[in-house]
Amino acid sequence: MAEAAPLWAVPVLPVALCLGAVAAAAFDAVVGGGSGRPGAGVLAAASAPLREGLRLLAQQRRTTPSADTALGRVGLGLVPVAAVLAAAVVPWGFVQVADPAVGIVWFNAMEVLAWAAVWLAGWGPNSVLSLIGGYRFLAQGLAYELPHMFALTTAGLGAESLRVSEVVGAQQGLWFAVWMPAAFAVYLLSAVAMSFWGPFGYPLGGDVAGGAVAEYSGVDRLLLLGGRWLLLTATAAFSVPLFLGGGRGPLLPGWGWTLLKTAAVLAVLILARRMLPVLRAERYMEFAWMVLVPLTLVQALFVAVVVLNR
Amino acid sequence: MDLIGALPRLAARRPPVLLVTMPGATRERLAVEAELTGRGWPSAPGPAAAAGLVVAGRAGGAQWLGDLWNGMPRPRAYVAVAHAGDAPHALDLLGRLLSSGREGDAPRAVSAGAPRGAPGQGGGDGPDHHPGAPGSGARETPGDEDGRSGRGGQEGRDGRGQARGQGRGQGQGRKQGRALGLGLGQGRGQGQGQGQGHGGHRGGVAGLPMAGRADDRDGLRLDRLHLPLGPALADWPAGLVLDVALQGDVLQSAEAHPWEAAPAGRYPFWGEPWLRAAGGEAVTRGAAERRRCASHLDSVGRFLAVSGWPRPAARARRLRDRLLQGAAAGELAPEVLRLTRGVARSRTLRWLTRGLGELPAGRARELGVTGPALAADGDVHARLRVWLGEIERSVHGMDDPRALTGVDGPRGRLDGPRPPSRLLLAALLPLLPGAEFACARLILASFDPDPDEFAGAGHG
Repeated sequence: MAEAAPLWAVPVLPVALCLGAVAAAAFDAVVGGGSGRPGAGVLAAASAPLREGLRLLAQQRRTTPSADTALGRVGLGLVPVAAVLAAAVVPWGFVQVADPAVGIVWFNAMEVLAWAAVWLAGWGPNSVLSLIGGYRFLAQGLAYELPHMFALTTAGLGAESLRVSEVVGAQQGLWFAVWMPAAFAVYLLSAVAMSFWGPFGYPLGGDVAGGAVAEYSGVDRLLLLGGRWLLLTATAAFSVPLFLGGGRGPLLPGWGWTLLKTAAVLAVLILARRMLPVLRAERYMEFAWMVLVPLTLVQALFVAVVVLNR
Repeated sequence: MDLIGALPRLAARRPPVLLVTMPGATRERLAVEAELTGRGWPSAPGPAAAAGLVVAGRAGGAQWLGDLWNGMPRPRAYVAVAHAGDAPHALDLLGRLLSSGREGDAPRAVSAGAPRGAPGQGGGDGPDHHPGAPGSGARETPGDEDGRSGRGGQEGRDGRGQARGQGRGQGQGRKQGRALGLGLGQGRGQGQGQGQGHGGHRGGVAGLPMAGRADDRDGLRLDRLHLPLGPALADWPAGLVLDVALQGDVLQSAEAHPWEAAPAGRYPFWGEPWLRAAGGEAVTRGAAERRRCASHLDSVGRFLAVSGWPRPAARARRLRDRLLQGAAAGELAPEVLRLTRGVARSRTLRWLTRGLGELPAGRARELGVTGPALAADGDVHARLRVWLGEIERSVHGMDDPRALTGVDGPRGRLDGPRPPSRLLLAALLPLLPGAEFACARLILASFDPDPDEFAGAGHG
């Protein structure tokens, strides 16, 4: 079913992920109406993220007194790196850069890298508000990670394998999203949470003047804010092989379907983002552990029973 | 290269703006905010995110303002809006300054004293006349200029006259971008920026902290960190400064710092119709209701922004601007009602704000609180609901031509011995200790005291 990607796919992967992230950010800008004065064209809104990126590239970097610059920069750099490494196990159609036997675990490990990344970035500048932001991501991680892992496990259970290509293979005829809806929904929630974006933008909240990103300007800021879009794109893309049948579909080639489904998932997340205020970790925690954990466990139980009776 | 030449223009197209409101300058703030909305310029939550610094009101020579400016990365520009009518012109100027690479007549970190006249005459090159302060071309220069400005967040220091931008103390960063770091490691009364010979900047070597500093920072787990919040935080009552003690992100104590009084000779903007009527001028009820409605929309917009819900926050602020520009009540009513009902209906918002900052009516009455905070008789969400209800009522009363006789302003009775906002502040401060930072911000935003009212009963 799956085949190894040619070597040239390795350098192409980050570029493709960046393009996807820029497209997602552009779509967000267009539907958000946040940028662009009334009457400004779609084109102006769509190019806003790209313009902002260029602006940040040309902007001076700040340093703060007695900052732990090295640590902060390690954190900043880790955000996009974690996103790219996570995307390495996402199949494009039926080809993926890497297909380890523990692909799902690999993906999960990379997102935990993001925890470290944001926390280090918040710690680095030696500033209260950014430190609060960094800690907030740990609190948020504590809340969303357990249900998230159960959701991932459920997909692995259904396929009886942690290898991503085999998870795709197991969805012949019936997507996991159809018979594991709770796991799919929880996965989408945590996809947004691990990208610390939208309703889960708590670590970078406006109430702490930007939190983890409060003290960064220029390319530093770009790494963190751009890395967040990369993460969101990677997690949305990973939901396709996990729950949406991977590259399956009529007419189009496999990679075309992957692209289309990823775009659809991203569009749903971007549009749904507007419906909710920021979910503070301290409240979400209760919901995640009291509602989502039992829900995903029941979902996993259901899937396990089905698999045993096949 | 052509691209390099195009970058300043690019930066000037929609620059993120850090808007700082001076005491008493609500009218100017509203003018600038409306103007920013119209242009689609984003507002920056802090100096690091900003390309333009816009001061609403008379900047004077506030130390913290200079420090805030020093914390902004280049390219940057500064304008002041001393009169509400100047806002469009000032923002045009800001755009021109940015695209030409000039910075405007920047505020200095040392008290300049002299009030500024017209906004930015351009050409001034900010406070960075000391050696080793490169432009954005950043050359590496060894050593650094020691912080000569306030070191916020120091233990056992009253912080008076110290840097208070953004709720962070700040020091002179090394060259690059002048940091606003609240030295977590400075909680030991240690000065900052003892020269590390390597500035971390483009192509530079990342500066590793000295061991001694790392020890200091470790103390944070045990320390209470004292820091001033305000006056320039985003979505924060303009000019208010709270001295808080933090342990992690939990507030241990909160006190109001002596505030800078709003300039005399002006009524507080939001209480103006009632104060004018009390002073014997003819004011219609309709005009007062319009102002009340706008005031609550302003508060609701701020509350929603603090709770991280940008879309309805922006809608509330747009409606507020249109109300103040005199749009007809009939035209606005449907939109206002859609907004208030949508916000009131949001279960998520109710779940997120339930149980925060409880102020029972009995306790409120003891404290002399009147107005929405008294009527709410409950938590943050109850106060929000009262605002929404009053907005709906006010919308229908905006065409009332009768003379205004009441004294019930948007924040409470304006004929009491103390201005309502002072009472609100006194009532909310005891609710802050024990709250997490985010919750404390929500509690404050749900009372939304207006520092313009602090000075007194507003004798114009």
